[in-house]
This record gives sequence, structure tokens and C-alpha cells, in this order.
Amino acid sequence: MNDMTMPERRKGPIDPMPKSPGPSEEGGGPKRPETGSPDKDNLLKRMRKVDPKQAEKYRQRTGE
Amino acid sequence: MRLFGIETEYGITRDDLDEVDPVVESMEVVRAHLTASFERRWDYAGEDPHEDVRGFRVSGLAQDQEEDEFAKVDAHRPFSFHEMKSDLVLPNGARFYNDHTHPEYSTPECRSLKDLLAHDRAGERIIQRAADRRNKRLGGPHVQLYKNNTDFHGHSYGCHDNYLVSRSIPFPQLVAGLLPFLVSRQVIAGAGKVGIEAQESGCVPGAYQLSQRADFMETELSVDTMHNRPILNTRDEPHADRNKYRRLHLIIGDANMCEYATALKVGTTQLVLDLIERGAAPILELEQPVSAIKQVSRDPDLKATVRQKNGRTLSGLEIQEQYYLAAQRTLAGTDAESDWVLREWGETLRLLTQERSQLVGKLDWVTKLWLLETFVREERIGWDDPWLASLDLEYHNVSAERGLYLGLEAEGKAWRMTSEADVEQALSTGPQDTRGGLRGLCVRRFPDQIKSMQWERIQFSGGLIPKTLEMDDLFNPEDVKICVEIFEAAASPADAVATWKQRKDSPS
Repeated sequence: MNDMTMPERRKGPIDPMPKSPGPSEEGGGPKRPETGSPDKDNLLKRMRKVDPKQAEKYRQRTGE
Repeated sequence: MRLFGIETEYGITRDDLDEVDPVVESMEVVRAHLTASFERRWDYAGEDPHEDVRGFRVSGLAQDQEEDEFAKVDAHRPFSFHEMKSDLVLPNGARFYNDHTHPEYSTPECRSLKDLLAHDRAGERIIQRAADRRNKRLGGPHVQLYKNNTDFHGHSYGCHDNYLVSRSIPFPQLVAGLLPFLVSRQVIAGAGKVGIEAQESGCVPGAYQLSQRADFMETELSVDTMHNRPILNTRDEPHADRNKYRRLHLIIGDANMCEYATALKVGTTQLVLDLIERGAAPILELEQPVSAIKQVSRDPDLKATVRQKNGRTLSGLEIQEQYYLAAQRTLAGTDAESDWVLREWGETLRLLTQERSQLVGKLDWVTKLWLLETFVREERIGWDDPWLASLDLEYHNVSAERGLYLGLEAEGKAWRMTSEADVEQALSTGPQDTRGGLRGLCVRRFPDQIKSMQWERIQFSGGLIPKTLEMDDLFNPEDVKICVEIFEAAASPADAVATWKQRKDSPS
């Protein structure tokens, strides 16, 4: 069972997540997004479809 | 010891009704997950939100009066309290239920960030699939769900991150070590928000801030969670052996869409807990933490400074840097996951000052701001346009067809830390090295023999003597593995409980 005085440490697991590649790197990990601007044909179209009054109409009860 | 989990309350609405009953809608969405009739299994006996970690029990919470009023209304509904809650334990060890009029998904307990991310994403899928089934019955995509924390009218709901902590750490030591960190954590983990609110007040448009929750923090320490919200919640509900453990229940955090932000939020908090346990946390005392959290949130340029008790001032970024440097000094080389967090934490702090655009798709507040800035430019609207709050809301929609973040992700502009295979696996099984995975296994193997469940206990029915699997001190992964093997092989839960007890009691 756990030793209460010393935090338990995992021994030698594989790298839990791939290193985030830098600007010039390529690899099997997450790809650096191209962040010039949102795609005008898709994402901006999706944004324009949002009802401007949606937040005004949105009501929730207080949660935790 | 390393164990964490996330509870997320989702915003819910129906676009085909003028008046939405959130009790009914939340219940219906949770029940839409079911393929059979609802069976009451969750045991609330072990839950008492009135117990305070500072060593006393409060007679009432700030929300009790409001809750009592809702209870009076609920008493006239055609279903019982348990039916209304519709508390489900899923085959992956997660809990899915109607909490305070919001569908809530609590991940199973995880020991690694990779598992946590997969289970957080699985929660999004499970709740959206339930909404899809509900919408099919309604005849259109009327129910929409939002993984956010505000309704822009002064009502907030939470995304709580939880950590198992040794009770040997004195609570005042936790408070001292955590408060400045939590005030500044939004610099990396804020989900971004259009406008400024306060509890039960309207929204003032025109501003953009780092955090959804900062506006709703009203005190430093409190057992309350719905009113008079604290930076550090003092609820003493360990869901574990209370002589040995605490559950650090953080209600200050935003619900993140970016996997990277979730990983950093939980990963850095775990490192700070490790620092506190070793007595190596930075010694910082903020003069007014509650004001400080709002000051930091309301300055996306990250230049706002907050005052320490010694008179010196620091920005949120500088507070984070102090924690990062202490963690780097003390914890580097501890294990692979800590090293990953350290590397990414340091890099993120650097990019925030030098090359923020590289954090689009990684940090929510940066990503949302980038989207909104583009929209403002394209549409030639002002920052006080109400359209922006609607876009803010839609960023958090968990529908793949409508959500702005999910749209961004689909276009490859957001960082994925999980694979689809990870998420698929998390939909059906829990982590193999925690009691969460064991809980899920019991749900899959012995669904008809479970009498009741809590986080730390499963009671099985059948036979003259009730059989109970106690998990209040089942945190060693090797012990979990042995227990899982026993439950996988046993013919009945009674046999499994007996074998596990024998194994536990026998000298190793």
C-alpha cells in the first residue's frame, strides 16, 4: 500500500505524450497548427451562422 | 501517490422552446444514454458537502435556501429525487448524472494525463451522443450542450479538477502554497470570456478576459460552491480513507476545450502539490487574492500586476514563472510525465510573452481571442457587439457540426494530444491502474449484481451477507492490477470479494 510520507513515483514509463514539435520539427506528435487566420470558407462560415442573439437568449441556473 | 479526475457540468438549452425546464432537459439527456430502464444505484450516504476541511461542519450552505426552494418545486414533479438525478455509473468507471440542473460527467480516477485527456474527451462524446438520441426523439437538433462556465447573465456552473492528497500535509500549508498559483493559473488554463459579469448580474460587453470563472470568485476559502464561491474550496469529502487522504476539490477552473490546456492545468497543479508536499513551493503572499484573480483575468496583455503582502507587485505571468522555476529546480527528472509538464509549462510561459500566436489551438483563451479578432476584422463590428458573446458560447458547443472549437480541430488547427483510438477505448473502459477502471469492470461484468455504488465502495447484492468491495485505500497500481485480475476471473462478485480479501489479508 502507499507510503504516506513519500509520494509514489512511477518507474520508467514511456514518455506519456509526444514532445510538441517546434516550428521546424516534424514528427508523430501533435502538429503545429497553421494559424494565419481561420479558414474563410469553413470556419468563418460556421461563425457567421451563429445567431447574434444566441447568448442573449441563453439562460442557465447556477451550478457548482 | 498520484490520482486526479475532472467533473464537468455542461450548459444545456433547447432552441425550439421559449421556456426551458433545465431539470427535465438535463434528466432527459442523461437518460437518453440508457438502452434499458433506469435503475437506482448511486449511494448518496457518503456525501456530505457540509463537512469543512478546517475541522468543523457547517450547519448550512449559502445555496441551501435556494436548493430548498427548488426542492419544493421538484416535489410536485411526476418523478422522484432519484429519477431526477438519474445517476449512472458507466462501463468506463465514469459517473454521468443530472447535477444542479446541468448534465454532469465525472471522469473515472486517472493516474496519467494521457488517460485523463482521453476520458475528458470521452465525456464530451458520451454527452453529445446522448443529446443526439434525445434530438432524434424530438425530431430536430434542438438540444445543444456547452462545455463552458457561464450563461452571460450571472450564472456560472463548474468544471472541477480533483486531486488525491495526503492528509499529512497540513491544510494551511496547502492554502499558502496553492492560492497564488491558482490566482495565476488562468494565464495557461483560462477558457477566455467576452464581457464582465458578477454572480446573478448581467454582462458588461466590450471586454475580453482570460477566465470564465474569475468573475464568480468571491472569497479565498469557503465550503460553499454555488454562492460565495471560493478560490479554494474547503469541502472535506475525501471519497477515500479520511485518516490518510484529502480530496483537493478545485472549483476555480474553467472548462477547457483544448486538450493541451487541460493537460497543463492538471499537470502543473499536480507539480505544485508535489512542491508543497516537499516544502518547496515559492513563498508568495498576495494582499488580496480575490481582487487579484479578477485583475489578472481582465488583462489579456498579461501586464496587470497584483500586490503582495510585502508591498512588491507581480504579474500573473511572473507568479507562474516563480512556480515553474521552483518545480524545475525540485522536480526535474522525477518521472517522464513531470518532465513533459515542465517542458511544456516553461515553453508556454515563454510563448505567452514572445510568440503568442503559436499557442492558438493549445490554450483556449488565446485560441478564442484569435477567432474573435479575426471575426471583428472580417465583419467590421465592435467589441461591444453582442454577436461576440454568442460566438464565445458557440466555441464551447460540443456538437461536431456546430462547435467552433471542434470546427477548428477538424481543420487541423488545434493540437490533439489524444488519438481517436484513445478516446474510443476511454468510452468503454476505465484506466487500468486505478479504482476507476475496476469500477468500470464491475459495471461490465456484474451489472445485475450491483446493489449500490459510491466512489470508494461497491456493494453487491445476493446471498445472506452483503458483499462489499472497499476501495477507500486502493490506490497502489499494483494492488489495483491484482484486484482487477481477480474480478476478471471470478465467477461471481462474492467470490471476487472473498478472494481479494484473502489476498489482502495474507502476508506478502
